[in-house]
Amino acid sequence: MTKIIRAEQSTEEEIKKILHPLVTEWFFSKFSEFSLPQKYGVVPIWKRKNILISAETGGTKTLTAFLSILNHLIILAEKQELKNKVYAVYTSPLKALSNDIHKNLIEPLHEIEELAAKKGIKLQKIRIALRTGDTTTYERTKMLKNPPHILITTPESLAIVLTSKNFVDNMKEVEFCIVDEIHSMDNKRGAYLSLTLERLNEVSSVWPVKIGLSATIEPMDEVAKFLTGVSDDREVESAKVDLNKKIDIQVLSPVKNIIEDEGLHSKMYVLISRLISEHKTTLIFTNTRSGTERVVSYLKERFPTEYGDDNIAAHHSSLSKEHRFDIEEKLRQGKLKVVVCSTSLELGIDIGYIDLVLMLGSPKSSSRALQRMGRAGHQLHNIAKGRFIVLDRDDLVECCVIQKEMMEKRINKVRFPRRCLDVLAQQVFGMAIYKVWKEDELFRLIRKSYCYSDLTRGDFLDIISYLSGEYSLEKNNIYGKIWYDKETKEIGKRGKLARVLYLTNIGTIPEESFIRVKITGTEEPVGMIDETFLSRMKKGDVFVLGGKKYLYRYTRGMNLYVSSEVARNPTIPSWFSEMLPLSFDSALEINQFRALMKKKLKSDKSKEETLKFIGSYLYVNKETAEAIYNYFLEQHSFLEIPDENTIIIEKFTDPDQEKKYLIFHTLYGRRVNDALSRAIGYIIGALGSRDIEVGVSDNGFYLSGENMMIKRALENLKEKNIEKILKEAIDRTDVLARRFRHCATRALMILRSYKGQRKTVGKQQMKSHFLLAAVKRISNEFPILREARREIFEDLMDIENAGLVLRWIEQGKVKIKVIETPLPSPFSLNLIIQGHSDLIRIEDKQEFLRRMHQLHIRNIIQRVPAE
Amino acid sequence: MQNKIRIKYEFINKTLFFPDYGILAVGDLHIGYDHMIKQSGILIPERQVKDIISDLKEVFRKIKNSKTGKRIKKVVFLGDIKHAFSFEAEEKYEFIEVMNFLKLEVPEPQENIIFIKGNHDTMDFTYGKMKNYHIEPESGIAFTHGHKSFPEIFGRKVNVIVSGHLHPSIILAEKPGVKKETYKCFLEGSYKGKTFIVIPSFVGYYEGTPVNDYREDYLESFFILPKKEMLNFKIHVIGKDKVYDFGKIKDL
Repeated sequence: MTKIIRAEQSTEEEIKKILHPLVTEWFFSKFSEFSLPQKYGVVPIWKRKNILISAETGGTKTLTAFLSILNHLIILAEKQELKNKVYAVYTSPLKALSNDIHKNLIEPLHEIEELAAKKGIKLQKIRIALRTGDTTTYERTKMLKNPPHILITTPESLAIVLTSKNFVDNMKEVEFCIVDEIHSMDNKRGAYLSLTLERLNEVSSVWPVKIGLSATIEPMDEVAKFLTGVSDDREVESAKVDLNKKIDIQVLSPVKNIIEDEGLHSKMYVLISRLISEHKTTLIFTNTRSGTERVVSYLKERFPTEYGDDNIAAHHSSLSKEHRFDIEEKLRQGKLKVVVCSTSLELGIDIGYIDLVLMLGSPKSSSRALQRMGRAGHQLHNIAKGRFIVLDRDDLVECCVIQKEMMEKRINKVRFPRRCLDVLAQQVFGMAIYKVWKEDELFRLIRKSYCYSDLTRGDFLDIISYLSGEYSLEKNNIYGKIWYDKETKEIGKRGKLARVLYLTNIGTIPEESFIRVKITGTEEPVGMIDETFLSRMKKGDVFVLGGKKYLYRYTRGMNLYVSSEVARNPTIPSWFSEMLPLSFDSALEINQFRALMKKKLKSDKSKEETLKFIGSYLYVNKETAEAIYNYFLEQHSFLEIPDENTIIIEKFTDPDQEKKYLIFHTLYGRRVNDALSRAIGYIIGALGSRDIEVGVSDNGFYLSGENMMIKRALENLKEKNIEKILKEAIDRTDVLARRFRHCATRALMILRSYKGQRKTVGKQQMKSHFLLAAVKRISNEFPILREARREIFEDLMDIENAGLVLRWIEQGKVKIKVIETPLPSPFSLNLIIQGHSDLIRIEDKQEFLRRMHQLHIRNIIQRVPAE
Repeated sequence: MQNKIRIKYEFINKTLFFPDYGILAVGDLHIGYDHMIKQSGILIPERQVKDIISDLKEVFRKIKNSKTGKRIKKVVFLGDIKHAFSFEAEEKYEFIEVMNFLKLEVPEPQENIIFIKGNHDTMDFTYGKMKNYHIEPESGIAFTHGHKSFPEIFGRKVNVIVSGHLHPSIILAEKPGVKKETYKCFLEGSYKGKTFIVIPSFVGYYEGTPVNDYREDYLESFFILPKKEMLNFKIHVIGKDKVYDFGKIKDL
């Protein structure tokens, strides 16, 4: 196992001792002292120790990493010993890194060079080059002749560089490797990067010292292992730098009584506008794209004299790149009064001076909230100011608990996805292009990556089989991308086009396509919707887009035609897929608070006493404490408060719709609830042999259907069989089809660029279900299909913690109570309204046809007398 | 089922069979469809021909086993035999593969396999046997693809017109936003005094174009029937062992 050592601070003298006089002089001409990250980082990096540095945004991390490297290069440059090769690689997931690099690398280098010139010290030229997907062929050729000493790149471009026959020679003695923004790599891109780093280690004859830079992150040890890989001969220092940055955070409610005040919405905008006017520049997070649009247009409409195109802007991922850059630039120049974004401005690049961060609705985790707050007062010593604005009572409780976590500096744990077979397939293909491998050699290398340290040889060989075309069993060997000789156990690339195919299809971020929504007749475009959202609708459905109602008329190609004159209420719930899930850690925190409240309300504590407790426990004022108190009191008097020891299941029948509901109060976050609800729903559906409707939210879930045998279902669901049940439950779902398409693209079964042409996502999307059907016929255990399931279970849902909850139930730590109620309890109201619904399919397609026909006949019979 | 002049016909899976004359009509094949999917960058294993042959085998087996003792004498392909608008060598090989199978099933295949030309049939793999329409003189059944009209099919002696081209399917949905399924279907009605039947496509990969949208979105230039008439056609959905009548398109 990789050894982890706590990093220690060096003194100013110790740092000065290793720095070249030029560097020292330059440094103190700019700064008065070494910053805390520099005290932790500069010396270990100089001594060639791997190190992970985590600190709040605004700490001088990037310069810390470059200082030792620049120092090393300056020393060589003075001695005229600088060679034609890459000494250091810097990788960051953000494409728009130029600003940061400019400030922390290029500018310092220029200034040091100027200083040297002034003193008559002759330095060799130190070259820095940026290589991303946008780098032109000309620039790449230039780089080949004169390789940069410091290569600035993205994880994807680094993998390409390592596959490029000519350039890789320059990478054989890389001494330093900086991995920036590690906190944003808890996804498949991270898994991809961890393998790329192992490839870099393999190519290089010296050990490239790993320097990891991260925002505040937990668990540090795991992240450190992610950075260096897993092997007995590796060690890494871990430096958790606490800058003791002060934060000024508060939870605000637009009205005194959220439940009774009808003007909530309009008062919220009054509050927002007031806050904006009191500050210089405000950044608003809304969590969703649609929310962003809504807030901008409403503010403009409501306060036309205050907000116009010149001082307010929307920023989210569906907007064009140019548009986003433009807004970021305006922000830096201080031209905007307010920017509204979904989550898109959470990360990375310096966006200039912002003195207030508003969060509409819960940010769903304390680390995310801190990250957002970090966007305000970016300078080291400024106090970051943020406000939560809550819209309902669950939101209120959630934000208060998250605020508590922030104040007490407890942040949520990240988790890197493990054993992703699609990413592995892409990387193995890349490695086979680079050289011929022995099977064992390749397997050993892969297992050194943190994300693949427990990869089984079986899974590995499955990927080799897939890539060498053993699976397809068809006349045209379509998956044969590599060859594998079973005698010699050697692996290599196949075909002349392998490199081109790899280079043009590399990457892990799925492309999504959107359906344009237009008004029938006038062709007036009204917006875009997600393709999966469309697949849930049928003709005549009413849905909401951009705050307006539309009636589904028909589709043609990638267009949905609608009419805007609708009186009916929406029949389709708004799309919640873009909603952030509440973190498991924060969920448990809320559950714990619920337990404490339950105890207080059950005891004979006075209201005053309880209010005092809420105030001090959650750091909130009296008004907020009162709102929370009332909410809990209502639930307590009506039914019972579900908490960390009790799951309450409400049985309730909606008299209007004759719909039976089971409402599960499982406050474990949407990812866990997604797994639990589908598993329980599937068992109930199978017992009653009917489809079950499910709605999932962070606070629980509901099931609706006929003949729901809840007791037997609960007896059947255990920690050890949840995966098996879920595998069946998701088999015919949209989500499997969609995730499979993403995985198939990563594993190069779907090629975005093929035979010299780029394929449009839209068309591929419409056709990709053929591939799923075909793959299922080859084998239900096809590795890429298995990966799609793993992604759903582990990355989209949280099967691990769902299992943990089941274990608590089995151990009796958590009790289940089923209670019949005449009305849904206060805690379950939001759950029914917000839970986005889906269907667990039990019924076979033929049975459905038969039943729909009966319905059709019944309709005809009913219609006859009227005619 | 039969029409007013009593020509019997049966829906057998995706095909239409006239038992008294032993004629089997098969909808659009679109050989090479999977090849086209592959060209668009989705690497699926090609098995369309395998599927066509096994689906045809199933139809033949059903007819052979039926108690009526009727036999297939003739097979009519209703056009769009190939998919790509350009020449693709793969399509030609696959077409030959299908024919090699059919030759063993149909008596005197040279005369008794009829090919109608569809809008996708820009190349003729049948060595000149393709025609725009085919009329059976004995029964008065006319076959055509449906993208173009020919006066002969509305001739006096014609009783029944059979076409493909539309790939009709129906979407059945329940619980808004939650459940919907698509099924291939036959359309049956009358036009200019003739019984008119539209056969679903034979392509296994997808169900077809939903007729649910016809009221809003029906391109008159695409098919030989005007919208007004089309909306009066009846929908028959083929279930596993039963045909389901879903009423008229306009009532959907």
